[in-house]
Amino acid sequence: MTDLSKPQEAPGRPMVRAEGVHKSYGQVEVLKGIDLEVRQSEVFCLVGPSGSGKSTFLRCINHLEKINAGRLYVDGELVGYRQKGDRLYELRDREVALKRQDIGMVFQRFNLFPHMTALENVTEAPVQVKKENRAAARDRAMALLERVGLADKAGNYPSQLSGGQQQRVAIARALAMQPKLMLFDEPTSALDPELVGEVLDVMRGLAEEGMTMIVVTHEMGFAREVGDALVFMDGGVVVESGHPREVLGNPQHERTRAFLSKVL
Amino acid sequence: MEKTDQEPASRGRPEAIKAVPVRHPGRWVTVAVVAVLGAMLLHVLFTNPALDWDFVGAVLRDPTVVHGIWTTLELTVLAMLMGVVGGVLLAVMRLSKNPVLSGAAWFYIWVFRGTPVLVQLVLWNNIGFLWKEISLGVPFGPSFWSQESNTLVPVFTAALLGLGLNEAAYMAEIVRAGIQSVDEGQSEAAHALGMSRATALRRIVLPQAMRVIIPPTGNETISMLKTTSLVQVISLVELFTAGHDISTRTYKPIAAMIAVSIYYLLLTSILTVGQYYLERYYARGANRTLPPTPLQRVRALFAGRAPAKPAASAAPAGSAATDGAPGGAPDGRKDA
Repeated sequence: MTDLSKPQEAPGRPMVRAEGVHKSYGQVEVLKGIDLEVRQSEVFCLVGPSGSGKSTFLRCINHLEKINAGRLYVDGELVGYRQKGDRLYELRDREVALKRQDIGMVFQRFNLFPHMTALENVTEAPVQVKKENRAAARDRAMALLERVGLADKAGNYPSQLSGGQQQRVAIARALAMQPKLMLFDEPTSALDPELVGEVLDVMRGLAEEGMTMIVVTHEMGFAREVGDALVFMDGGVVVESGHPREVLGNPQHERTRAFLSKVL
Repeated sequence: MEKTDQEPASRGRPEAIKAVPVRHPGRWVTVAVVAVLGAMLLHVLFTNPALDWDFVGAVLRDPTVVHGIWTTLELTVLAMLMGVVGGVLLAVMRLSKNPVLSGAAWFYIWVFRGTPVLVQLVLWNNIGFLWKEISLGVPFGPSFWSQESNTLVPVFTAALLGLGLNEAAYMAEIVRAGIQSVDEGQSEAAHALGMSRATALRRIVLPQAMRVIIPPTGNETISMLKTTSLVQVISLVELFTAGHDISTRTYKPIAAMIAVSIYYLLLTSILTVGQYYLERYYARGANRTLPPTPLQRVRALFAGRAPAKPAASAAPAGSAATDGAPGGAPDGRKDA
């Protein structure tokens, strides 16, 4: 249904490209060679059992984790490194920070700043990082809060908000930096069941506006309805990928089938 | 605020419980014991001839003592300032990924926390024995500016260096504990928004760490107020030294020390009140609603006892209530 409103005719340019991405913590190899491509304006869902490496992969995309092998590109640029000839140079903290400005991230545990009101949470990064004018940032923040349906909660501290409200503020906070890519790390997993819907509604709205989104989720209904592509990961590798309706409706691999039978 | 539990009693509602409260006979015993001890104390205070209250009053008004208060306050404020700034710096160094920086901070803390302040005070005061003059210039090369150590480090500066640098070592550990108490997700969220390490620390981590840092810092400040009395060993006249000089001159040590103690208590009380409000400020967002201040409680009490108006949220009666004793009991009601 949503497909109708989405510009799906021409596949957009690649926003994220992973080539043989490996990541290990000491001896434990969490990602064992991930290859995938996320196109502009696509809603890309990552599903899989816990420990499959999907959250780790997401965190690699904005360099919260360093990859050990392979290449990872965001909007055509290498993540975390600069390549000169066949040599890689680590980026400075400042350069990494600059790239992160274009990538919004929403966390499972919200991670709102508890000492700031909802409004301050949203204006903080534009004012401190982009040096935006305070009044202008405030106006934009109010518009964003309005959009996630929380304009009346602007003056509340996170502890005075429900989980669903906190997560919606967190989405507004990420959007305030006007990112070209949004990463969602199990955004509804910490929520009471009746609060999941309000967060998914906001995400659905974003998708309809053409935001490129990578979503780690257990919400198969959301993936099927809103997703443009879906990857099933297990044990640090991509087991199966394709259009969500195909993968979820007609899984080809035994592991995918076993997993889906438990969550659907 | 709406109070949902104050709805008008509905028809089927059972009668409110009126039970006989539990008796506490033990309380009456403790009251009696405390009353007797209190009476004994008062008796000593007002009948013992060694306690010459007129003399206590004279010491309280003595100009050197009054001047000593200022010296004590100056030392406390400046040394704590050095301590807090140095402590934050050292804590950040210790948590740095650079092994040289964290090693240097570790070494500093090891030295300055591992030797008595008294020793450090004497060392700073005698720095002239180590270096006759202190100069700025290229290490092992020419110098552009120099000054005699004894001129550059007068007694007050020596006292300040001794107290402040020592305090920085303690504050470093307090600040480090505070920084580490902040959830890692906070700096992650800050970094994901594109903040630099420094911005994340200044805007996100430190303000939250303050909640953990402030109470022990209050302790340190009060402790510092009293530790300043140690500068007597380098002959700097502050509150204690001034009182002590009088006591040795007049052979009335008890009265002199009581006078000095009155000032110390007065100063610590003021500091405690300051700490209370500072803690309240940094508790923003951590509690859903802040507990009322002692002043607000006293007002609420009067407002509550005034006519038959149970609603505590009514405008407080204009009674100029005295500020509650500092006590500093942050217990209040934590949460329901």
